[in-house]
Amino acid sequence: MNGFDRRTFLKALAATPVASILTVPRAHASTPKARVLVVGGGYGGATVAKYLRLMDPGIAVTLVERETLYTSCPLSNEVISGERDIKTLQVGYDGLRKHGVDVVHDDVVLVDPVKKTATTAGGKVFDYDSLILSPGVDFDFGGLEGLTRELAETRLPHAWKAGPQTLLLKKQLEAMPDGGTFIIVVPPGPFRCPPGPYERAAQVALYCKSHGKAKSKVLILDANDSFSKKALFEQAWKELYGYGEGGMIEWVPASKDGKVERVDAETLTCYAGFGEYKGDVVNVIPPHHAGSIARDLGLATFKDKWCEVRPENMESTKQKDIYVVGDACVGGELATNNPFPKSAHMAISQAKVVAASLVARFNGLPPPEPIYTNTCYSVVGHDWGFSVVHLFRVDGGQWVYVKSGSGISPVTMGTKDAPKPVPRLYRKLEVEYADGWLRNVLADAFL
Amino acid sequence: MHRGISAWLLFWVAAPAFAAGNVDVLARTCNNCHGLDGVSVGTTMPSIGGLPKIYLANVMKDWKYDKRGAITMNRIVKGLSDDEIDALAAHFAKLPWVPVPQPASAESLAIGKTVIKENCEDCHGATGSDPDVGSPKLNGQWAPYMALELEKYRDPEFRMTHRKMRKAARELKEGEVHPVAEYYGAQDK
Repeated sequence: MNGFDRRTFLKALAATPVASILTVPRAHASTPKARVLVVGGGYGGATVAKYLRLMDPGIAVTLVERETLYTSCPLSNEVISGERDIKTLQVGYDGLRKHGVDVVHDDVVLVDPVKKTATTAGGKVFDYDSLILSPGVDFDFGGLEGLTRELAETRLPHAWKAGPQTLLLKKQLEAMPDGGTFIIVVPPGPFRCPPGPYERAAQVALYCKSHGKAKSKVLILDANDSFSKKALFEQAWKELYGYGEGGMIEWVPASKDGKVERVDAETLTCYAGFGEYKGDVVNVIPPHHAGSIARDLGLATFKDKWCEVRPENMESTKQKDIYVVGDACVGGELATNNPFPKSAHMAISQAKVVAASLVARFNGLPPPEPIYTNTCYSVVGHDWGFSVVHLFRVDGGQWVYVKSGSGISPVTMGTKDAPKPVPRLYRKLEVEYADGWLRNVLADAFL
Repeated sequence: MHRGISAWLLFWVAAPAFAAGNVDVLARTCNNCHGLDGVSVGTTMPSIGGLPKIYLANVMKDWKYDKRGAITMNRIVKGLSDDEIDALAAHFAKLPWVPVPQPASAESLAIGKTVIKENCEDCHGATGSDPDVGSPKLNGQWAPYMALELEKYRDPEFRMTHRKMRKAARELKEGEVHPVAEYYGAQDK
């Protein structure tokens, strides 16, 4: 990992040509062309707010977000293993304020889609012309017997929202004795960050291997029978940590009794069909769904969990002038099992589509043709990473998965009959690029 | 009218669909990893705003048609048409090149300067700001990115297209790779 400090990073930012237009002092000095309210200040919400202001400062943008400090989920598995300082994942909201976004730290509790108003817990009422919901996910603690919100904050952390939970899980890992078992419970898909649980298994194994706990085990109990970048993960697990029987990492799919149905927080035991697994650390990723504010509005029409949106501009199929971006939405070419992955990159991509579409609308221009891209890196060892990229276009009002512009890092090279191993430089470069990606997406969304 | 809106909206209004609106939509997807206006803040990702059009178009097409090895970009560009690649290259080439000079030790700067005079200056210029046609600018480009690129050129298993560049990179001694990258990375002009 390279060591450029925050000062150099900020200097780089200051050097960008947009610095001159970062100085718009007040958002709503004159009568705005339109008022946009953004709910949720993660990657998706922050990007919509910033790009609306960049593209048309005549639009008044208010962003409502509970927290004053954002912690990136991507690369937070590296915090659990001690490979990365959590501070490198954190960013505040002053960057958005410099773009003229009115950032309000509060919680939207009620939306009236007819009157087009939103009310916060703090009692503020906002009128909007367009409402962007980027609420992320909320957990269904009742969805797994034996799990409660309280237990998820103590004995059975999820660390599926980065922040205090990430540090709690890190502490539990550090306290685990050599020879201990670290269990990761994976919910049924689709879930936030498809490769996340499997990257986490590798990071936990990396910690154990490099901290004198090589006799430990990482056990993945999965409610699914396959997963993202599977061939790449299994290859790396095997090579770096040992995988399967006798190895450090073991994956139990649903078809082999991996679907956990009950968990006992007292004894740290997971029950799955006929299987019974006792852990020393039990990391339960609870089932989750679109953030409650979107769900309460009746927008989560897909499996009662995720919000369906229009391919051309991410507008809700249920509610006019409400747009849903990020992990809360569902999109992509579902018929061929190529959905939008719930990733930060995808959220940013969706956010830019919304911003461009709204700016066109408010200025009476034809809507631009949208394009959706994803890049997602997984870091599984000091010098071992890999990625997946996705490209979606819209044709005839439908999302089209563009296979030629999508795919995972190579598992092998050479030919099919005479495969050759992928040079280690490839894997090393992806670790370095993951860090470069993180710095750029944080800046693209928040600064 | 605010200045922020001008270039983008007027361009959009003035020109037909693909050339204006859509290259902006496409280019915005590049910002994720290469920064707003192609000025990267991720030290392992290159800045691309202000690089020569011919260089940008060539490198993207070499990835697309598997002439040149890459890690991520070769997969991404395969989804783009040649017209889109040309439009993106033109878009980024028009933006100003914004060097981000990075601090380097006196020792690195001294070694880097000597090695560059012998191995790199001919094509990239003494400070990297005045390259040959078709070669990228290097002044104030991210040093960690450039060091990784040199590693790619030095690895015989990594397919890099440019013969002269492969030769020059492989002539460097192990201890010269980082100083060369850091010297160019430290240059403002």
